[in-house]
Amino acid sequence: MAISATLDDAGGRPRSLPARLYLAHERLAIGGGTLLALLLAWEALGRSGLVDPLFISSPTQIVKTGWQLGHDADFWNDLRVSATEFLLGYGAAVAIAVPLGLAVGLSKRLQYMLSPFVDTLNAVPRVTLLPLIVIWFGIGIWSKVAVVFLGAVIPILINTQSGVKTSEARFIRVARSFCASRGKVFSSIVLPGTVPFIFTGLKYGAGRALLGVVVGELYASTAGLGHLIADAGNTFQTDVVFFGVLIFMAAGLVVVALLDACERRFEKWRPAVH
Amino acid sequence: MGPRFRGDDSVEDERRGNLNTADFTPATSGQAPVMLRLYLVHERAILGALMVVLFLIAWEGLERGWWAQALRPLIGSAAERWQLKPIFISSPTLVAQSAWRMYFVTGEIWRDLAWSGLGYVLGLAVAIAVGIPLGLAAGWYRRFSYAVEPLLTALNATPQVAFLPLIVIWVGTGLGARVLIIFLLAVLPIAINAHAAVRTTDARLIKVAASFGAGDWRLFRTIILPSSLPFLLAGLRLAVGRGMIGVVVGEIYGSAAGIGAMISQAGARFQTDKVFVGVLTIVAAGVILVEIVRRIERRVEAWRPPVEDTP
Repeated sequence: MAISATLDDAGGRPRSLPARLYLAHERLAIGGGTLLALLLAWEALGRSGLVDPLFISSPTQIVKTGWQLGHDADFWNDLRVSATEFLLGYGAAVAIAVPLGLAVGLSKRLQYMLSPFVDTLNAVPRVTLLPLIVIWFGIGIWSKVAVVFLGAVIPILINTQSGVKTSEARFIRVARSFCASRGKVFSSIVLPGTVPFIFTGLKYGAGRALLGVVVGELYASTAGLGHLIADAGNTFQTDVVFFGVLIFMAAGLVVVALLDACERRFEKWRPAVH
Repeated sequence: MGPRFRGDDSVEDERRGNLNTADFTPATSGQAPVMLRLYLVHERAILGALMVVLFLIAWEGLERGWWAQALRPLIGSAAERWQLKPIFISSPTLVAQSAWRMYFVTGEIWRDLAWSGLGYVLGLAVAIAVGIPLGLAAGWYRRFSYAVEPLLTALNATPQVAFLPLIVIWVGTGLGARVLIIFLLAVLPIAINAHAAVRTTDARLIKVAASFGAGDWRLFRTIILPSSLPFLLAGLRLAVGRGMIGVVVGEIYGSAAGIGAMISQAGARFQTDKVFVGVLTIVAAGVILVEIVRRIERRVEAWRPPVEDTP
Protein backbone atom coordinates (compact mmCIF):
# COMPACT_ATOMS: atom_id res chain seq x y z
CA MET A 1 0.00 0.00 0.00
CA ALA A 2 2.67 2.43 1.08
CA ILE A 3 4.86 1.60 -1.87
CA SER A 4 2.19 1.57 -4.53
CA ALA A 5 0.79 4.90 -3.32
CA THR A 6 4.13 6.59 -3.76
CA LEU A 7 4.51 5.39 -7.34
CA ASP A 8 3.03 7.44 -10.12
CA ASP A 9 1.40 5.03 -12.53
CA ALA A 10 2.88 6.72 -15.58
CA GLY A 11 6.56 7.08 -14.81
CA GLY A 12 7.00 5.08 -11.66
CA ARG A 13 8.91 7.93 -10.05
CA PRO A 14 8.33 8.43 -6.33
CA ARG A 15 6.29 11.55 -5.55
CA SER A 16 6.57 13.96 -2.67
CA LEU A 17 3.85 13.99 -0.03
CA PRO A 18 2.14 17.23 -1.13
CA ALA A 19 2.03 15.98 -4.73
CA ARG A 20 0.45 12.73 -3.61
CA LEU A 21 -2.10 14.54 -1.48
CA TYR A 22 -2.93 16.80 -4.40
CA LEU A 23 -3.33 13.90 -6.84
CA ALA A 24 -5.57 12.01 -4.45
CA HIS A 25 -7.86 15.02 -4.03
CA GLU A 26 -7.30 16.71 -7.37
CA ARG A 27 -11.00 17.17 -8.08
CA LEU A 28 -11.64 18.85 -4.76
CA ALA A 29 -8.45 20.92 -5.00
CA ILE A 30 -9.20 22.32 -8.44
CA GLY A 31 -12.91 22.84 -7.79
CA GLY A 32 -12.31 24.52 -4.42
CA GLY A 33 -9.37 26.50 -5.77
CA THR A 34 -11.41 27.90 -8.65
CA LEU A 35 -14.22 28.86 -6.31
CA LEU A 36 -11.81 30.51 -3.88
CA ALA A 37 -10.06 32.38 -6.71
CA LEU A 38 -13.38 33.66 -8.01
CA LEU A 39 -14.44 34.83 -4.55
CA LEU A 40 -11.09 36.59 -4.00
CA ALA A 41 -11.28 38.29 -7.40
CA TRP A 42 -14.83 39.37 -6.62
CA GLU A 43 -13.81 40.74 -3.22
CA ALA A 44 -10.81 42.54 -4.75
CA LEU A 45 -12.96 44.03 -7.50
CA GLY A 46 -15.48 45.24 -4.92
CA ARG A 47 -12.78 46.81 -2.71
CA SER A 48 -10.60 48.29 -5.45
CA GLY A 49 -13.21 50.81 -6.46
CA LEU A 50 -12.88 49.86 -10.12
CA VAL A 51 -16.52 48.82 -10.06
CA ASP A 52 -19.06 50.53 -7.87
CA PRO A 53 -19.81 48.14 -4.93
CA LEU A 54 -23.42 49.14 -5.47
CA PHE A 55 -23.37 46.94 -8.57
CA ILE A 56 -21.47 43.87 -7.47
CA SER A 57 -21.31 44.03 -3.67
CA SER A 58 -18.65 41.64 -2.31
CA PRO A 59 -18.52 38.22 -0.62
CA THR A 60 -17.72 39.64 2.83
CA GLN A 61 -20.51 42.19 2.51
CA ILE A 62 -22.95 39.42 1.54
CA VAL A 63 -21.93 37.32 4.53
CA LYS A 64 -22.38 40.34 6.83
CA THR A 65 -25.81 41.02 5.35
CA GLY A 66 -26.72 37.38 5.75
CA TRP A 67 -25.76 37.53 9.42
CA GLN A 68 -27.91 40.62 9.94
CA LEU A 69 -30.87 39.11 8.09
CA GLY A 70 -30.57 36.06 10.31
CA HIS A 71 -31.57 38.28 13.23
CA ASP A 72 -34.46 39.83 11.35
CA ALA A 73 -37.95 38.45 11.99
CA ASP A 74 -39.20 39.69 8.60
CA PHE A 75 -36.58 37.58 6.86
CA TRP A 76 -37.71 34.43 8.65
CA ASN A 77 -41.28 35.27 7.77
CA ASP A 78 -40.29 35.58 4.09
CA LEU A 79 -38.53 32.23 4.29
CA ARG A 80 -41.57 30.63 5.91
CA VAL A 81 -43.96 32.04 3.28
CA SER A 82 -41.79 30.84 0.38
CA ALA A 83 -41.33 27.41 1.93
CA THR A 84 -45.08 27.08 2.52
CA GLU A 85 -45.83 27.99 -1.09
CA PHE A 86 -43.28 25.49 -2.35
CA LEU A 87 -44.40 22.65 -0.10
CA LEU A 88 -48.14 23.12 -0.70
CA GLY A 89 -47.82 23.51 -4.48
CA TYR A 90 -45.25 20.78 -4.94
CA GLY A 91 -47.02 18.43 -2.55
CA ALA A 92 -50.31 18.85 -4.41
CA ALA A 93 -48.53 18.34 -7.74
CA VAL A 94 -46.94 15.08 -6.55
CA ALA A 95 -50.18 13.86 -4.98
CA ILE A 96 -52.09 14.42 -8.22
CA ALA A 97 -49.52 13.85 -10.95
CA VAL A 98 -48.14 10.48 -9.83
CA PRO A 99 -51.48 8.63 -9.59
CA LEU A 100 -52.82 10.40 -12.67
CA GLY A 101 -49.64 9.62 -14.61
CA LEU A 102 -49.94 5.94 -13.67
CA ALA A 103 -53.58 5.93 -14.75
CA VAL A 104 -52.82 7.72 -18.02
CA GLY A 105 -49.96 5.32 -18.71
CA LEU A 106 -52.23 2.32 -18.13
CA SER A 107 -55.27 3.55 -20.03
CA LYS A 108 -54.87 4.44 -23.68
CA ARG A 109 -58.26 6.16 -23.77
CA LEU A 110 -57.53 8.35 -20.76
CA GLN A 111 -54.28 9.36 -22.44
CA TYR A 112 -56.12 10.28 -25.65
CA MET A 113 -58.56 12.40 -23.66
CA LEU A 114 -55.98 14.27 -21.62
CA SER A 115 -53.11 14.61 -24.08
CA PRO A 116 -54.38 17.79 -25.81
CA PHE A 117 -54.38 19.61 -22.47
CA VAL A 118 -51.14 18.14 -21.16
CA ASP A 119 -49.31 18.77 -24.43
CA THR A 120 -50.55 22.35 -24.58
CA LEU A 121 -49.52 23.08 -21.00
CA ASN A 122 -46.19 21.40 -21.63
CA ALA A 123 -45.49 23.65 -24.60
CA VAL A 124 -45.91 26.85 -22.60
CA PRO A 125 -43.85 27.99 -19.63
CA ARG A 126 -46.56 27.83 -16.97
CA VAL A 127 -45.35 31.10 -15.51
CA THR A 128 -46.98 32.68 -18.57
CA LEU A 129 -50.29 32.02 -16.84
CA LEU A 130 -49.27 34.18 -13.86
CA PRO A 131 -51.31 37.24 -14.86
CA LEU A 132 -54.41 35.02 -15.09
CA ILE A 133 -53.58 33.20 -11.88
CA VAL A 134 -53.23 36.51 -10.08
CA ILE A 135 -56.64 37.60 -11.40
CA TRP A 136 -58.12 34.33 -10.14
CA PHE A 137 -56.29 33.89 -6.82
CA GLY A 138 -55.11 37.38 -5.86
CA ILE A 139 -51.57 38.31 -4.87
CA GLY A 140 -51.49 36.28 -1.66
CA ILE A 141 -49.98 32.88 -1.07
CA TRP A 142 -52.54 30.94 -3.15
CA SER A 143 -51.55 32.39 -6.52
CA LYS A 144 -47.99 31.19 -5.85
CA VAL A 145 -49.21 27.77 -4.72
CA ALA A 146 -51.17 27.55 -7.98
CA VAL A 147 -48.23 28.50 -10.20
CA VAL A 148 -45.89 26.15 -8.30
CA PHE A 149 -48.44 23.38 -8.73
CA LEU A 150 -48.84 24.03 -12.46
CA GLY A 151 -45.09 24.21 -12.93
CA ALA A 152 -44.41 20.90 -11.20
CA VAL A 153 -47.44 18.85 -12.20
CA ILE A 154 -46.68 18.59 -15.92
CA PRO A 155 -43.13 17.14 -15.83
CA ILE A 156 -44.10 14.66 -13.09
CA LEU A 157 -47.19 13.58 -15.03
CA ILE A 158 -45.37 13.18 -18.33
CA ASN A 159 -42.44 11.26 -16.85
CA THR A 160 -44.65 8.93 -14.81
CA GLN A 161 -46.76 8.21 -17.85
CA SER A 162 -43.78 7.46 -20.07
CA GLY A 163 -42.36 5.26 -17.30
CA VAL A 164 -45.48 3.09 -17.38
CA LYS A 165 -45.39 3.04 -21.19
CA THR A 166 -41.83 1.75 -21.26
CA SER A 167 -42.51 -1.17 -18.89
CA GLU A 168 -40.70 -4.23 -20.13
CA ALA A 169 -43.29 -6.04 -22.28
CA ARG A 170 -41.53 -9.40 -21.89
CA PHE A 171 -41.83 -9.27 -18.11
CA ILE A 172 -45.52 -8.55 -18.36
CA ARG A 173 -46.04 -11.40 -20.82
CA VAL A 174 -44.17 -13.82 -18.58
CA ALA A 175 -46.18 -12.74 -15.53
CA ARG A 176 -49.43 -13.08 -17.47
CA SER A 177 -48.57 -16.54 -18.67
CA PHE A 178 -47.99 -17.48 -15.04
CA CYS A 179 -51.50 -16.21 -14.36
CA ALA A 180 -50.54 -13.05 -12.45
CA SER A 181 -53.53 -10.81 -11.80
CA ARG A 182 -53.66 -7.25 -13.14
CA GLY A 183 -52.96 -5.91 -9.67
CA LYS A 184 -49.99 -8.21 -9.27
CA VAL A 185 -48.56 -7.20 -12.65
CA PHE A 186 -48.97 -3.56 -11.71
CA SER A 187 -47.45 -3.78 -8.25
CA SER A 188 -44.53 -6.09 -9.07
CA ILE A 189 -43.59 -5.07 -12.64
CA VAL A 190 -45.09 -1.79 -13.80
CA LEU A 191 -44.66 0.23 -10.60
CA PRO A 192 -41.03 -0.74 -9.82
CA GLY A 193 -40.09 -0.09 -13.45
CA THR A 194 -41.69 3.34 -13.28
CA VAL A 195 -39.90 4.52 -10.13
CA PRO A 196 -36.76 5.91 -11.88
CA PHE A 197 -38.99 7.83 -14.29
CA ILE A 198 -41.08 9.21 -11.44
CA PHE A 199 -37.91 10.46 -9.77
CA THR A 200 -36.69 12.09 -12.97
CA GLY A 201 -40.06 13.83 -13.12
CA LEU A 202 -39.89 14.78 -9.45
CA LYS A 203 -36.47 16.40 -10.00
CA TYR A 204 -37.60 18.34 -13.05
CA GLY A 205 -40.77 19.23 -11.17
CA ALA A 206 -38.82 20.52 -8.16
CA GLY A 207 -36.85 22.84 -10.43
CA ARG A 208 -40.02 24.14 -12.02
CA ALA A 209 -41.64 24.53 -8.60
CA LEU A 210 -38.77 26.68 -7.32
CA LEU A 211 -38.96 28.71 -10.51
CA GLY A 212 -42.66 29.20 -9.82
CA VAL A 213 -41.94 30.47 -6.30
CA VAL A 214 -39.38 32.98 -7.57
CA VAL A 215 -41.35 34.28 -10.55
CA GLY A 216 -44.64 34.31 -8.69
CA GLU A 217 -43.13 36.41 -5.92
CA LEU A 218 -41.22 38.69 -8.29
CA TYR A 219 -44.42 39.33 -10.22
CA ALA A 220 -46.85 40.08 -7.44
CA SER A 221 -46.57 39.31 -3.76
CA THR A 222 -46.62 40.77 -0.29
CA ALA A 223 -44.04 38.46 1.30
CA GLY A 224 -41.55 35.75 0.49
CA LEU A 225 -37.93 35.47 -0.57
CA GLY A 226 -38.73 36.49 -4.15
CA HIS A 227 -40.48 39.54 -2.76
CA LEU A 228 -37.40 40.24 -0.63
CA ILE A 229 -35.00 40.15 -3.60
CA ALA A 230 -37.36 42.14 -5.83
CA ASP A 231 -37.63 44.81 -3.13
CA ALA A 232 -33.89 44.79 -2.52
CA GLY A 233 -33.24 45.03 -6.26
CA ASN A 234 -35.49 48.06 -6.57
CA THR A 235 -33.58 49.78 -3.76
CA PHE A 236 -30.13 48.71 -5.06
CA GLN A 237 -29.36 46.56 -1.99
CA THR A 238 -27.22 44.26 -4.10
CA ASP A 239 -25.96 42.31 -1.09
CA VAL A 240 -29.49 41.38 -0.04
CA VAL A 241 -30.30 40.26 -3.59
CA PHE A 242 -27.18 38.07 -3.67
CA PHE A 243 -28.04 36.57 -0.30
CA GLY A 244 -31.55 35.76 -1.53
CA VAL A 245 -30.14 34.16 -4.69
CA LEU A 246 -27.77 32.09 -2.51
CA ILE A 247 -30.70 30.83 -0.47
CA PHE A 248 -32.57 29.81 -3.60
CA MET A 249 -29.39 28.08 -4.79
CA ALA A 250 -29.08 26.23 -1.48
CA ALA A 251 -32.78 25.30 -1.60
CA GLY A 252 -32.35 23.90 -5.11
CA LEU A 253 -29.29 21.86 -4.12
CA VAL A 254 -30.95 20.54 -0.95
CA VAL A 255 -34.14 19.49 -2.76
CA VAL A 256 -32.20 17.67 -5.47
CA ALA A 257 -29.98 15.98 -2.86
CA LEU A 258 -33.04 14.86 -0.88
CA LEU A 259 -34.68 13.43 -3.98
CA ASP A 260 -31.45 11.66 -4.93
CA ALA A 261 -31.28 10.13 -1.45
CA CYS A 262 -34.92 8.98 -1.71
CA GLU A 263 -34.24 7.52 -5.14
CA ARG A 264 -31.23 5.58 -3.89
CA ARG A 265 -33.36 4.15 -1.10
CA PHE A 266 -36.05 3.01 -3.51
CA GLU A 267 -33.53 1.66 -5.99
CA LYS A 268 -31.38 -0.29 -3.54
CA TRP A 269 -32.72 -3.64 -4.64
CA ARG A 270 -31.79 -3.07 -8.27
CA PRO A 271 -28.48 -4.58 -9.38
CA ALA A 272 -26.03 -2.04 -10.80
CA VAL A 273 -26.12 -1.98 -14.59
CA HIS A 274 -23.07 0.04 -15.49
CA MET B 1 -73.30 8.92 -31.91
CA GLY B 2 -73.33 7.97 -28.23
CA PRO B 3 -72.67 4.24 -28.21
CA ARG B 4 -69.61 4.61 -30.43
CA PHE B 5 -67.58 5.92 -27.57
CA ARG B 6 -68.36 3.04 -25.29
CA GLY B 7 -65.77 0.89 -26.94
CA ASP B 8 -65.82 -2.86 -27.18
CA ASP B 9 -69.11 -3.46 -25.37
CA SER B 10 -71.06 -1.68 -28.06
CA VAL B 11 -69.98 -3.95 -30.89
CA GLU B 12 -73.23 -5.92 -30.84
CA ASP B 13 -75.48 -2.84 -30.80
CA GLU B 14 -73.63 -1.32 -33.71
CA ARG B 15 -73.86 -4.38 -35.90
CA ARG B 16 -76.50 -3.36 -38.38
CA GLY B 17 -75.97 -3.97 -42.10
CA ASN B 18 -73.04 -2.88 -44.12
CA LEU B 19 -70.70 -5.46 -42.65
CA ASN B 20 -67.24 -5.86 -43.97
CA THR B 21 -66.28 -9.44 -43.34
CA ALA B 22 -62.61 -8.85 -44.16
CA ASP B 23 -62.23 -6.46 -41.27
CA PHE B 24 -60.30 -7.28 -38.12
CA THR B 25 -60.23 -4.70 -35.39
CA PRO B 26 -57.52 -5.18 -32.83
CA ALA B 27 -59.72 -5.36 -29.76
CA THR B 28 -62.60 -7.49 -31.08
CA SER B 29 -62.57 -10.85 -32.74
CA GLY B 30 -65.91 -10.39 -34.50
CA GLN B 31 -66.67 -8.18 -37.47
CA ALA B 32 -67.02 -4.53 -36.53
CA PRO B 33 -69.28 -2.12 -38.36
CA VAL B 34 -67.83 0.70 -40.42
CA MET B 35 -68.54 3.42 -37.88
CA LEU B 36 -66.80 1.54 -35.10
CA ARG B 37 -63.85 0.78 -37.32
CA LEU B 38 -63.54 4.41 -38.29
CA TYR B 39 -63.70 5.32 -34.63
CA LEU B 40 -61.07 2.80 -33.60
CA VAL B 41 -58.68 3.91 -36.33
CA HIS B 42 -59.05 7.57 -35.36
CA GLU B 43 -59.72 7.00 -31.65
CA ARG B 44 -56.92 9.26 -30.54
CA ALA B 45 -58.06 12.23 -32.64
CA ILE B 46 -61.74 11.70 -31.86
CA LEU B 47 -61.35 11.40 -28.08
CA GLY B 48 -58.91 14.30 -27.98
CA ALA B 49 -61.11 16.57 -30.08
CA LEU B 50 -64.18 15.60 -28.07
CA MET B 51 -62.53 16.59 -24.80
CA VAL B 52 -61.32 19.87 -26.26
CA VAL B 53 -64.81 20.70 -27.57
CA LEU B 54 -66.38 19.80 -24.21
CA PHE B 55 -63.82 21.95 -22.44
CA LEU B 56 -64.50 24.92 -24.74
CA ILE B 57 -68.28 24.53 -24.30
CA ALA B 58 -67.89 24.34 -20.52
CA TRP B 59 -65.74 27.47 -20.59
CA GLU B 60 -68.09 29.38 -22.89
CA GLY B 61 -70.97 28.31 -20.67
CA LEU B 62 -69.31 29.74 -17.58
CA GLU B 63 -69.13 33.17 -19.16
CA ARG B 64 -72.53 33.15 -20.92
CA GLY B 65 -74.40 31.76 -17.92
CA TRP B 66 -75.47 28.44 -19.48
CA TRP B 67 -74.49 26.65 -16.29
CA ALA B 68 -76.34 29.14 -14.14
CA GLN B 69 -79.52 28.66 -16.20
CA ALA B 70 -79.22 24.90 -16.14
CA LEU B 71 -78.61 24.76 -12.41
CA ARG B 72 -81.18 27.36 -11.32
CA PRO B 73 -84.10 24.88 -11.08
CA LEU B 74 -81.95 22.63 -8.95
CA ILE B 75 -80.15 24.90 -6.52
CA GLY B 76 -82.01 28.20 -6.86
CA SER B 77 -80.17 31.46 -6.47
CA ALA B 78 -76.89 29.72 -5.59
CA ALA B 79 -76.70 29.00 -9.33
CA GLU B 80 -75.63 32.60 -9.92
CA ARG B 81 -72.16 31.63 -8.79
CA TRP B 82 -71.86 29.53 -11.94
CA GLN B 83 -71.88 32.60 -14.15
CA LEU B 84 -68.53 34.40 -14.13
CA LYS B 85 -67.67 37.86 -15.35
CA PRO B 86 -65.77 38.13 -18.63
CA ILE B 87 -62.92 39.98 -16.92
CA PHE B 88 -62.50 36.96 -14.69
CA ILE B 89 -62.68 34.10 -17.14
CA SER B 90 -63.19 35.51 -20.64
CA SER B 91 -64.56 32.93 -23.12
CA PRO B 92 -63.42 31.07 -26.24
CA THR B 93 -65.41 33.36 -28.53
CA LEU B 94 -64.12 36.51 -26.81
CA VAL B 95 -60.56 35.21 -27.05
CA ALA B 96 -61.04 34.37 -30.75
CA GLN B 97 -62.42 37.86 -31.44
CA SER B 98 -59.56 39.42 -29.56
CA ALA B 99 -57.02 37.31 -31.43
CA TRP B 100 -58.52 38.30 -34.77
CA ARG B 101 -58.38 41.97 -33.79
CA MET B 102 -54.82 41.84 -32.48
CA TYR B 103 -53.42 39.86 -35.40
CA PHE B 104 -55.29 41.19 -38.40
CA VAL B 105 -57.14 44.41 -37.55
CA THR B 106 -54.83 46.50 -35.37
CA GLY B 107 -51.83 44.21 -35.91
CA GLU B 108 -50.51 45.31 -32.50
CA ILE B 109 -49.21 41.86 -31.60
CA TRP B 110 -46.70 41.68 -34.47
CA ARG B 111 -44.54 44.38 -32.93
CA ASP B 112 -44.50 42.51 -29.60
CA LEU B 113 -43.71 39.25 -31.38
CA ALA B 114 -40.82 40.83 -33.28
CA TRP B 115 -39.43 42.38 -30.09
CA SER B 116 -39.69 39.12 -28.12
CA GLY B 117 -38.32 37.13 -31.05
CA LEU B 118 -35.27 39.38 -31.28
CA GLY B 119 -34.35 38.88 -27.62
CA TYR B 120 -35.04 35.15 -27.87
CA VAL B 121 -32.87 34.60 -30.94
CA LEU B 122 -30.00 36.66 -29.53
CA GLY B 123 -30.12 34.99 -26.11
CA LEU B 124 -30.30 31.51 -27.57
CA ALA B 125 -27.51 32.24 -30.05
CA VAL B 126 -25.19 33.45 -27.28
CA ALA B 127 -26.15 30.43 -25.16
CA ILE B 128 -25.24 28.07 -28.01
CA ALA B 129 -22.02 29.95 -28.80
CA VAL B 130 -20.92 29.77 -25.14
CA GLY B 131 -22.55 26.55 -23.96
CA ILE B 132 -21.36 24.12 -26.61
CA PRO B 133 -17.63 25.02 -26.48
CA LEU B 134 -17.76 25.21 -22.68
CA GLY B 135 -19.44 21.81 -22.36
CA LEU B 136 -17.20 20.16 -24.94
CA ALA B 137 -14.08 21.56 -23.28
CA ALA B 138 -15.27 20.42 -19.85
CA GLY B 139 -15.91 16.98 -21.26
CA TRP B 140 -12.52 16.75 -22.96
CA TYR B 141 -10.17 18.32 -20.38
CA ARG B 142 -10.52 16.60 -17.02
CA ARG B 143 -8.97 19.40 -14.98
CA PHE B 144 -11.11 22.03 -16.64
CA SER B 145 -14.16 19.97 -15.79
CA TYR B 146 -13.08 19.87 -12.12
CA ALA B 147 -12.92 23.66 -12.18
CA VAL B 148 -16.29 24.40 -13.78
CA GLU B 149 -18.41 21.46 -12.61
CA PRO B 150 -19.22 22.83 -9.12
CA LEU B 151 -20.28 26.15 -10.64
CA LEU B 152 -22.45 24.51 -13.30
CA THR B 153 -24.07 22.21 -10.74
CA ALA B 154 -24.84 25.07 -8.37
CA LEU B 155 -26.19 27.29 -11.14
CA ASN B 156 -28.26 24.44 -12.53
CA ALA B 157 -29.93 23.80 -9.17
CA THR B 158 -30.73 27.51 -8.76
CA PRO B 159 -33.90 28.91 -10.25
CA GLN B 160 -31.90 31.18 -12.57
CA VAL B 161 -34.69 33.74 -12.76
CA ALA B 162 -33.71 34.75 -9.22
CA PHE B 163 -30.85 36.63 -10.90
CA LEU B 164 -33.34 38.97 -12.59
CA PRO B 165 -33.19 41.75 -9.98
CA LEU B 166 -29.37 41.68 -10.25
CA ILE B 167 -29.49 41.72 -14.03
CA VAL B 168 -31.80 44.71 -13.92
CA ILE B 169 -29.32 46.49 -11.63
CA TRP B 170 -26.46 45.67 -14.01
CA VAL B 171 -27.94 46.31 -17.44
CA GLY B 172 -31.31 47.95 -16.91
CA THR B 173 -34.58 46.63 -18.29
CA GLY B 174 -33.89 46.85 -22.01
CA LEU B 175 -32.93 44.30 -24.61
CA GLY B 176 -29.67 43.46 -22.81
CA ALA B 177 -31.45 42.25 -19.68
CA ARG B 178 -33.73 39.97 -21.67
CA VAL B 179 -30.86 38.54 -23.71
CA LEU B 180 -28.93 37.92 -20.49
CA ILE B 181 -31.73 36.10 -18.67
CA ILE B 182 -32.55 33.98 -21.74
CA PHE B 183 -28.85 33.18 -22.06
CA LEU B 184 -28.61 32.24 -18.39
CA LEU B 185 -31.59 29.89 -18.59
CA ALA B 186 -30.63 28.29 -21.91
CA VAL B 187 -26.87 27.91 -21.48
CA LEU B 188 -26.99 25.30 -18.68
CA PRO B 189 -28.85 22.49 -20.47
CA ILE B 190 -26.68 23.09 -23.54
CA ALA B 191 -23.39 23.01 -21.61
CA ILE B 192 -24.40 20.08 -19.40
CA ASN B 193 -25.52 17.99 -22.36
CA ALA B 194 -22.36 18.83 -24.32
CA HIS B 195 -20.30 17.76 -21.30
CA ALA B 196 -22.19 14.49 -21.01
CA ALA B 197 -21.85 13.96 -24.76
CA VAL B 198 -18.05 13.96 -24.72
CA ARG B 199 -17.98 11.82 -21.59
CA THR B 200 -20.09 9.11 -23.20
CA THR B 201 -18.07 8.97 -26.40
CA ASP B 202 -16.95 5.40 -27.06
CA ALA B 203 -13.41 5.31 -25.58
CA ARG B 204 -12.40 2.48 -27.92
CA LEU B 205 -13.00 4.64 -30.97
CA ILE B 206 -10.80 7.38 -29.53
CA LYS B 207 -8.05 4.92 -28.64
CA VAL B 208 -8.04 3.42 -32.12
CA ALA B 209 -7.91 6.81 -33.80
CA ALA B 210 -5.21 8.05 -31.42
CA SER B 211 -3.06 4.98 -32.00
CA PHE B 212 -3.27 5.67 -35.74
CA GLY B 213 -1.83 9.09 -35.00
CA ALA B 214 -4.96 11.26 -35.17
CA GLY B 215 -4.45 14.67 -33.56
CA ASP B 216 -6.88 16.35 -31.14
CA TRP B 217 -8.63 18.30 -33.86
CA ARG B 218 -9.10 15.26 -36.03
CA LEU B 219 -10.41 13.22 -33.07
CA PHE B 220 -12.82 16.00 -32.30
CA ARG B 221 -14.06 16.42 -35.84
CA THR B 222 -14.41 12.77 -36.84
CA ILE B 223 -15.38 11.03 -33.59
CA ILE B 224 -16.44 13.32 -30.79
CA LEU B 225 -18.59 15.73 -32.75
CA PRO B 226 -20.63 13.09 -34.63
CA SER B 227 -21.23 11.02 -31.50
CA SER B 228 -22.09 14.17 -29.51
CA LEU B 229 -24.67 15.47 -31.93
CA PRO B 230 -27.74 13.73 -30.45
CA PHE B 231 -26.85 15.02 -26.98
CA LEU B 232 -26.24 18.52 -28.30
CA LEU B 233 -29.62 18.52 -30.01
CA ALA B 234 -31.36 17.13 -26.92
CA GLY B 235 -29.73 19.97 -24.97
CA LEU B 236 -30.89 22.45 -27.58
CA ARG B 237 -34.44 21.12 -27.31
CA LEU B 238 -34.37 21.70 -23.54
CA ALA B 239 -32.80 25.12 -24.06
CA VAL B 240 -35.55 26.13 -26.48
CA GLY B 241 -38.09 25.60 -23.70
CA ARG B 242 -35.98 27.29 -21.05
CA GLY B 243 -35.46 30.25 -23.36
CA MET B 244 -39.23 30.66 -23.60
CA ILE B 245 -39.34 30.96 -19.81
CA GLY B 246 -36.69 33.66 -20.12
CA VAL B 247 -38.72 35.60 -22.67
CA VAL B 248 -41.84 35.58 -20.54
CA VAL B 249 -40.23 36.20 -17.16
CA GLY B 250 -37.79 38.78 -18.48
CA GLU B 251 -40.63 40.75 -19.96
CA ILE B 252 -43.08 40.29 -17.11
CA TYR B 253 -40.47 41.76 -14.79
CA GLY B 254 -40.07 45.27 -16.12
CA SER B 255 -40.13 45.53 -19.89
CA ALA B 256 -42.10 47.91 -22.07
CA ALA B 257 -42.68 45.71 -25.11
CA GLY B 258 -42.87 42.07 -26.10
CA ILE B 259 -45.38 39.28 -25.67
CA GLY B 260 -44.61 38.81 -21.98
CA ALA B 261 -44.98 42.54 -21.32
CA MET B 262 -48.25 42.55 -23.29
CA ILE B 263 -49.59 39.65 -21.20
CA SER B 264 -48.51 41.32 -17.99
CA GLN B 265 -50.03 44.69 -18.88
CA ALA B 266 -53.26 43.10 -20.12
CA GLY B 267 -53.46 41.15 -16.87
CA ALA B 268 -53.00 44.32 -14.82
CA ARG B 269 -55.92 45.90 -16.75
CA PHE B 270 -58.07 42.78 -16.41
CA GLN B 271 -58.14 42.33 -20.20
CA THR B 272 -58.36 38.60 -19.74
CA ASP B 273 -59.04 37.89 -23.43
CA LYS B 274 -55.78 39.56 -24.42
CA VAL B 275 -53.90 37.55 -21.80
CA PHE B 276 -55.27 34.34 -23.30
CA VAL B 277 -54.30 35.47 -26.83
CA GLY B 278 -50.74 36.05 -25.59
CA VAL B 279 -50.61 32.69 -23.79
CA LEU B 280 -51.90 30.86 -26.87
CA THR B 281 -49.37 32.68 -29.04
CA ILE B 282 -46.59 31.45 -26.77
CA VAL B 283 -48.05 27.92 -26.86
CA ALA B 284 -47.95 28.05 -30.68
CA ALA B 285 -44.41 29.41 -30.71
CA GLY B 286 -43.26 26.71 -28.27
CA VAL B 287 -44.85 23.91 -30.28
CA ILE B 288 -43.34 25.19 -33.54
CA LEU B 289 -39.84 25.67 -32.10
CA VAL B 290 -39.71 22.25 -30.43
CA GLU B 291 -41.01 20.66 -33.62
CA ILE B 292 -38.25 22.36 -35.62
CA VAL B 293 -35.58 20.95 -33.29
CA ARG B 294 -37.25 17.51 -33.44
CA ARG B 295 -37.17 17.66 -37.26
CA ILE B 296 -33.48 18.50 -37.20
CA GLU B 297 -32.87 15.68 -34.72
CA ARG B 298 -34.69 13.17 -36.90
CA ARG B 299 -32.90 14.33 -40.02
CA VAL B 300 -29.45 14.20 -38.50
CA GLU B 301 -30.01 11.09 -36.45
CA ALA B 302 -32.18 8.89 -38.66
CA TRP B 303 -29.63 6.07 -38.47
CA ARG B 304 -29.12 6.16 -34.70
CA PRO B 305 -31.28 4.99 -31.79
CA PRO B 306 -32.53 7.94 -29.68
CA VAL B 307 -30.83 9.03 -26.45
CA GLU B 308 -32.57 10.25 -23.34
CA ASP B 309 -32.35 13.83 -22.22
CA THR B 310 -29.98 14.41 -19.37
CA PRO B 311 -31.90 16.27 -16.68
